[in-house]
Amino acid sequence: MDTILFKNNPPDRAVTFDEYLADGGFQTLRKALAGMSPNDVQQAVIDSGLRGRGGAGFPTGRKWSFVPRDLPGPRYLICNSDEMEPGTYKDRVLLEHNPHLLVEGMALTSFALGVERAFIFIRRGYEQAALNLRSAIDFAHKAGFLGSDICGSGFSLELDVHLSAGRYICGEETALMNALEGIRANPRVKPPFPAVKGLWGQPTVVNNVETLANIPAIVAHGPAWFKALAATPEGSGTKLFCVSGHVRNPICLELPIGIPLGEIIDTHCGGMRPGSSFKACIPGGASTPYFTKEHWAVAMDFDPVAKAGSRLGTGGVVVFDQTTCMVAATLNLVRFFARESCGWCTPCREGLPFVQHILERIEAGHGEASDIDILREHVHMLNYAFCALAPGAMGPVEGMLRLFEDEVREHITGGKCPLGN
Amino acid sequence: MIKLIIDNIPVEVPEGTTVLEAAQSVDIPIPHFCWHPALGKAGACRVCAVKMLDGPVKGVQMSCMLPAQDGMVVSTTDDEAMAMRKSVIEWLMINHPHDCPVCDEGGECQLQDFTIAGGHGIRRYDGKKRTYNNQYLGEFIEHEMNRCIQCYRCSRFYQEYAGGADFGAMGRAAIVYFGRQDDGPLQSPFSGNLVDICPTGVFTDKTARFRARYWDYDMAPSVCPHCSLGCNTVPMARYRELLKTTARRNDHVNGWFICDKGRFSNAGVNTPERPRQALVDGKPVSLDEALDALATLLGEFLELHGPDSLAIVGSTRMDLAGNIMAARLREMLGAGTLCLFNDTDRAELTGKAVSLLTTENSASQEDVRSADLVVLVGCDLLDEAPMMALAVRQAWRSGARVYAIAPHPALLPEGEGTQPPLSPGERVAEGRVRGPLPFKFEYIASLADVPLAETKRPVIICGTSRQGLEALKNIQSAFALPFTKGGSGGISSSIETANPPQSPFDKGGLQPEPKLAFILDGPNAFGCAELARQHHGVALSAALADGRIKGIISFEADLHHELPQGIAVLAAADWRPTGLVARAGVVLPTTAWVEQEGIYINNEGRAQRFKKVMNPGLPIKGLTPELHPPRVHGIDAPGGDVAPSARLIALLMQRLGEAVVDEPLSGPWKALKDLDATGAGVIINQREQA
Repeated sequence: MDTILFKNNPPDRAVTFDEYLADGGFQTLRKALAGMSPNDVQQAVIDSGLRGRGGAGFPTGRKWSFVPRDLPGPRYLICNSDEMEPGTYKDRVLLEHNPHLLVEGMALTSFALGVERAFIFIRRGYEQAALNLRSAIDFAHKAGFLGSDICGSGFSLELDVHLSAGRYICGEETALMNALEGIRANPRVKPPFPAVKGLWGQPTVVNNVETLANIPAIVAHGPAWFKALAATPEGSGTKLFCVSGHVRNPICLELPIGIPLGEIIDTHCGGMRPGSSFKACIPGGASTPYFTKEHWAVAMDFDPVAKAGSRLGTGGVVVFDQTTCMVAATLNLVRFFARESCGWCTPCREGLPFVQHILERIEAGHGEASDIDILREHVHMLNYAFCALAPGAMGPVEGMLRLFEDEVREHITGGKCPLGN
Repeated sequence: MIKLIIDNIPVEVPEGTTVLEAAQSVDIPIPHFCWHPALGKAGACRVCAVKMLDGPVKGVQMSCMLPAQDGMVVSTTDDEAMAMRKSVIEWLMINHPHDCPVCDEGGECQLQDFTIAGGHGIRRYDGKKRTYNNQYLGEFIEHEMNRCIQCYRCSRFYQEYAGGADFGAMGRAAIVYFGRQDDGPLQSPFSGNLVDICPTGVFTDKTARFRARYWDYDMAPSVCPHCSLGCNTVPMARYRELLKTTARRNDHVNGWFICDKGRFSNAGVNTPERPRQALVDGKPVSLDEALDALATLLGEFLELHGPDSLAIVGSTRMDLAGNIMAARLREMLGAGTLCLFNDTDRAELTGKAVSLLTTENSASQEDVRSADLVVLVGCDLLDEAPMMALAVRQAWRSGARVYAIAPHPALLPEGEGTQPPLSPGERVAEGRVRGPLPFKFEYIASLADVPLAETKRPVIICGTSRQGLEALKNIQSAFALPFTKGGSGGISSSIETANPPQSPFDKGGLQPEPKLAFILDGPNAFGCAELARQHHGVALSAALADGRIKGIISFEADLHHELPQGIAVLAAADWRPTGLVARAGVVLPTTAWVEQEGIYINNEGRAQRFKKVMNPGLPIKGLTPELHPPRVHGIDAPGGDVAPSARLIALLMQRLGEAVVDEPLSGPWKALKDLDATGAGVIINQREQA
């Protein structure tokens, strides 16, 4: 099986710049600058079928194509490394092992988009990753892969690492841009979309770390090769899955996109822990509805997971065994989202604490039958929030009500948590 | 025009209108908290949900965010939309303290209205409410954060609209806090607008705290008398005490806001020092007796010295009718002089400024807000006309370039006030506002550097100082403004006689003629300048200089300099305790502007009517038991034997033998007789008047 992102990663340290070069690193950039037009690069990405790895799964090439070519002034590329989705740590592992891949990916993307100034927005907690990146940028600069007139092509790029004070909302691309501009990290009104009016009012593309790290391989080997990496004919490329929870071997892996859920857990994570049996999992980070045993064979790609009632999201799989109370698990997630609301819109700011309160009440055994109606109401009403945070936060609540309503009702009728919490 | 259907009503609106505004245009109210006409959309509160039944967008949408488009079919009463609105109110009520009975906003609270309208009644949240600590924000604004519904209006106004930096949103999630880093007076000279703009009771007027409910107040449309801009206000009074002043919308003038000077300078109307008792030689008499005495005194004076030695003194802070009547009185007596300005400079400069304005070139505050280039000439906006600075900020925010030439001495090149910003208390006490200008400007020495040719809507704002007018003379020659059309009112006779350079505005309209705004001295300075022109008024200092004047009768006049001892102050009519009142033989107490109807003509020549807000008289608060409660049946309030200056003059003229006293708004002023107090006002054009 071919891999892109974790290829040749030493197990316990980062790839050095020299190792990266020896492995053909920056050759793709050199080749693209010498022989390809920006449109060629963009076309390759469009043809590759690469979909955004930050969670929403929007086709990357299409996102690029929204940038107007004729607007005056600079345009910007931002790498979103504000990885704060609970259960998700793939970007950290990637950056701690191979920051050069991202640097090359951003250089190629900037070339495709006509960007001369790009930013890596990284969360405060990722200090090691930021260090690695800064060092990788330094090396690339010295080797002439960044800076002015890269490889004599006339193309110039400055790359900045912004270690943000960060919050979950900074992962929302418009809030991220506000934070980068130094103002409150509230999401912006869309439209205008960032591709037209983004950072400092200029056309801006925001892509996830994993998305950008895929670009060199796509440009080097072509769209067909990239597509063929997937486990299904519909998919394209690989996907980083970061597994945690009650499995024997919690690990971050690069696997063909579209691989069945069960195979990730059984084959690659060594199955469940001794004594544990699979009850449910979060398939793609905290904002995705649960999967149960009935979803064991679902292909882990954007469309099949959506068809099965959840979202592939970030690929952060959190596995729960039979001892997990789904009310408690959901409460834990909702608590996170309630705390991480930016406080801009009413449904999110006030609705999530209300949901948290109801779940606390149910978990403590003080719930009432009408509480389930209140929760359902909120699953619906929070869709009308300003950004995707609140609807995402209600993902697990929706999943809990759809898949584990009996367990919730047991809490209410029994006056206590049936799992003894 | 966009055509859509809202609640089965066909609506036609211009492009760029939101669905919310489109609904408002046909009187369909949609609840809203974060949306405000002056601040625009935010999409934060989510209470303006409507259902889109058909057209380019479907489903439940926020009407404040959605531009109206052709073919939209909107329902504001759809079940789903109503359910969403009810949910939003329920969420907002989770933490709202329901302290309406002790909240000053009660009765004028948008949150109350929309909670009732939204249909949320039964509380389902049984947890603890969030509580905050409040801050001391100075002596004018009370802070009660627990009531906050996080609509972000305050921080958007304070930071974005007004350019303040010491107040804003802090924290996140359900503990967002609107306040300052530390306790302390708000620094912005526009901070009082937080009181108006907050949809609930987080910011209330501390000076009127716990004094009245909305429905208790006497109020009427009025005009601010504290500078020449004529911002529209609603003063609110109770029990003969002016308690607070709020902004009144006038899109041509102040928009939605007023400055702190205009909002918090209410105490002067209520002060115990205010003259409320007619006096003859220091002895209390009735107003009628005082007028009788004055008529006699005046007869003696005229007999002894002749009419030439009498000056009738009006003022730029007196309403138009008072000044018109002062002019009539002078005509009737054949008195020596009509003095509407104190000193020669002021009279001359104001006259020149006013003569330059035409209906076309006079810039309103709205013209300034929508300008794409602003030139400041010799003025200190924050001190002389704060709202004009706010208007320039709006232009600057939309991309207008701002230049300053002929600097006011109080302005440093960087645009900072030379003095440290005053706290709101000091600002109001000193009657001035100072601080950094809320916009960036470029400091240029020469007018030739102003890139006027690249602009479409340039405005020149000029102070009425010699310095400013001198600089304008340069503008005149630089741009060949058609300033000299006004004949004798022109800036400089030398320019009139010289061959003016070819006007760039004559060449097929390639360049727009810059609009002009003058910062004048007093709410009725324009009116006084016009009257002075019609009646050949002279500045008081000039009249006194030639030694003919032996006595004066003054109406609401302030003197900047001590009056020479030899001049008799036969009478002074005023509601302020001025030096003239202290010296006058006959003291005639007048009504303050809130106690009478009247007209001010603002700096752009806009005549605006203000209505009577309250009855005159000593405020009940503070009255001693012998005055209140009243022991004798009567209709007069203690201290209420006062009258508007215009009325006093009319009564005096009757006593002096005038058989029929015409009402003030007759003759050249007839057009203003039916001026509507709630309209946009009427622009007076000097040339048309002439």
